Amino acid sequence: MKRIAIDPITRLEGHGKITIFLNDDGAVDRAYLQIPELRGFEKFVEGLPVEEVPRVVTRICGV
Amino acid sequence: MKLKIGIYWGAACGGCDVAILDTHLKLLEIAAAVDIHLWPIATDFKYSDVRAMKDGFLDVVMFSGGVRNSENEEIARLLRRKAKTMIALGACAHLGGVPGLANMYTREDILRRAYLESESTVNERGILPQERSTVDGVELELPRVYDTVKTLEQVVPVEYSIPGCPPASMQIYSALGLVADDMLPKKGSIIGAGERALCDECIRKKSEKTITKIYRTHEKLPDAETCFLEQGFICLGPATRSGCGSRCIKSWAPCRGCYGPLDDVADQGLKMLSALASVIEPKDEQGINAVLDMVVDPVRTFHRFGLAASMLRRRKA
Repeated sequence: MKRIAIDPITRLEGHGKITIFLNDDGAVDRAYLQIPELRGFEKFVEGLPVEEVPRVVTRICGV
Repeated sequence: MKLKIGIYWGAACGGCDVAILDTHLKLLEIAAAVDIHLWPIATDFKYSDVRAMKDGFLDVVMFSGGVRNSENEEIARLLRRKAKTMIALGACAHLGGVPGLANMYTREDILRRAYLESESTVNERGILPQERSTVDGVELELPRVYDTVKTLEQVVPVEYSIPGCPPASMQIYSALGLVADDMLPKKGSIIGAGERALCDECIRKKSEKTITKIYRTHEKLPDAETCFLEQGFICLGPATRSGCGSRCIKSWAPCRGCYGPLDDVADQGLKMLSALASVIEPKDEQGINAVLDMVVDPVRTFHRFGLAASMLRRRKA
């Protein structure tokens, strides 16, 4: 199958790529959206003093 | 001739990109002076376009975000080859930034929490991201999440850093002016920032400091005029480079150090700890320790933006 990669996807906040597979007729057989990023806020805000949380989680997305 | 520039983000939040956009009308001046060849938040160039460039094609790359995974590293190395001058833009590229706090944990801790344990996760088969996976007969790839967040400089040579989380917009504008006018200082310099400590520019009133108790923000209302530190609130002003315009201080929030250390300071957090210890009363070791024990979360207080660049760097495995 022919493979088309759109990497990176743009004009949004964050990282992403799209991989499209075409069948022998050139039609889209299937397509995958992948998010190739993880920073770990879920973990490293654990135990943070609650009054500091707003000053940390504002860095999840700055857009 | 117009400068050719690329703007990219690694492990970032997009706040540095927005800080560029927040130059408002000055953005038109920037757009007139440069040709943009990569800027994922605003333009549609692909990695394949960058790979097709001759080495050294770009005059400047501004790279925000730290290096958290193999894709961040691959693109950092690619852009380094294509760029004559590499600028670390913002606290994450400069010092690891807030995402560098993940260095308190291992890669496995983070993957488990995010993909298996979090209250909002539904993952009955317990699948974790794989670098290669075969789905319905086709192979898909994801970057490898590293165990340790790195600063840009820990991965590729960097000529200049523009600090801040985010950098003040007009500081980015003036730093770009240095590039356009060929007025850049010696390599390795911090640009787009001051050369003094934030305290030296602070609008709050300072006198001889004596701290006998450390307060959390909900424990006492600070007065409007006096230095936060003198009132017992941890403020990283003594150990932090100026240049931000005192944004937090003016919003009644003590400094958390996003502009990083001054020149010749190896570790911002330790510098702050040293500054703090020197103003605590009583002066004996027991007394100092009793007050320091009131700091609830020392690592994430003193190394909020700089853990990945600090001497601590990460928790031992």
